[in-house]
Amino acid sequence: MSLQKGAKGERPRYFADPGIDKVLSMTMALTGEVAVMRDRLDSLERLLEADQPVSREALDGYVPDDATRAERDHWRARFLEIVLRAVHQEREALERRLNERSYSSVIEAVESKDA
Amino acid sequence: MAVAGELTEQFAHGVLPKTTSEEYSRQEFVKSLKFHLASTISLGIKAAYRVRAEPAFKRAKGREPKGYREVQQAMAGEPYYQFWSAMQRNSQEMMWKSAQIPVERQLPSLISASKDAAGTRGSLTLDPTVEAPRYHRLVDIHCMPGGYHTEFADEDVANGAVYDRAVYVYVMGRMGPLNSDIGDSTANFVNARFPNVKPRRILDMGCGVGHSTLPYVEMFPDAEMYGIDVGAPVLRYAHARAESLGKAVHYSQQNAEKTNFPDSYFDLIVSHILVHETSHVAIRNIMRECHRLLSPGGIVAHTETPPYRQLDQFDAFMLDWDTRNNNEPFWAASHEIVPAEIAAETGFAASSAFEGLQPSAYEFAEAQRTKVFQGGDFGGGGAWYVWGAQK
Repeated sequence: MSLQKGAKGERPRYFADPGIDKVLSMTMALTGEVAVMRDRLDSLERLLEADQPVSREALDGYVPDDATRAERDHWRARFLEIVLRAVHQEREALERRLNERSYSSVIEAVESKDA
Repeated sequence: MAVAGELTEQFAHGVLPKTTSEEYSRQEFVKSLKFHLASTISLGIKAAYRVRAEPAFKRAKGREPKGYREVQQAMAGEPYYQFWSAMQRNSQEMMWKSAQIPVERQLPSLISASKDAAGTRGSLTLDPTVEAPRYHRLVDIHCMPGGYHTEFADEDVANGAVYDRAVYVYVMGRMGPLNSDIGDSTANFVNARFPNVKPRRILDMGCGVGHSTLPYVEMFPDAEMYGIDVGAPVLRYAHARAESLGKAVHYSQQNAEKTNFPDSYFDLIVSHILVHETSHVAIRNIMRECHRLLSPGGIVAHTETPPYRQLDQFDAFMLDWDTRNNNEPFWAASHEIVPAEIAAETGFAASSAFEGLQPSAYEFAEAQRTKVFQGGDFGGGGAWYVWGAQK
């Protein structure tokens, strides 16, 4: 069976072209599915390493222990840094500009006759 | 590099949906995504404000933005903010989707498990004549498809199961293995502020799946515990959940604006992130109903995220995201409630109104354990805001 597919309520538009909203949703969904696929591959590698039987059932039922979950959390954090590089690049540029402005405003402050 | 740390797993009570490895991975991805957005991406928003949006506002108006709404105006055209906002909205939709998929796969067995778990420690009283109020039907609150009230099968528990798991993912495990932090923290607040309170009966209004209700059973073992909600699927799930955890709660399907309990029936009434999901008229009706329901000296305490007046205007602007982006139309107005005013409007003495910040019980315990205090994503930097009145 299927539950309700979307939330009732007008969805905000984040971009002038609604096509971009769709592409972003698709990209993020795809990013998620890549992470899902990678976890499955990681499970396979761990089963092989531990000389455990490999089957679809074993993979479908694989339950990561605490250490594996922590390693996967780390992997996903690095993965997201890579996938969202374009966004981080803008953030880094803004932070640089913020610091530059702060310094020039320091010059203004120390040169100011109103100190 | 910030990493979503999850020091515990969600506790598998009798009706928590099971997940295949892939379903679990998908939920873990959403958790990592939300953490990444909150801990790194969102840091660029303030930089964008200071470097672009605020100067542009100053140039246009000849002064700095005053108040969170003007910060909002300044940020309306700011592309970094809009991009983060779009990703945040997507993360919500992905969260609900990742919680729905396992429930779709196992709904028949969840429904029979909920019937098996049903018991007589507490009780469940449904009423099909109780209509979901307008403020639940206009939009699906916080983007959960179908809200608290929509049923997808006979004796449905689907949206209870979806909610229970999604909340855990949403808060990245930071409300504890039973999602109990809001109830734990509010119970701590009540005990600290009103140390002599020994309630005979306690009511949790808008109890949902009961994650905030059960802490009171622990904290006040001599009290009878009641929970009400307008949604049948969440109540069926709540009852089964509580019974499977060995906790007695009397759940009933009622609208908190007008219940069928007798006058002065409760010594303590609580609610947890209910207020922002009501309306201007409804919260006043609810407070009037609380006044009727409370015994003399009885206390009503509502827990939410902090009011905007307590926050710096940029932080208030950030906290306000939900109003227009997460199907929470009453979020802004609920954060502007003044307890003394609403108490006076609804039969309480204005002087009996109270408000305070309560440190998150979970964050406190974690800080004790790890010696590191981490602010939660859900506002308040690890503290809940409790307001209310005393009859």
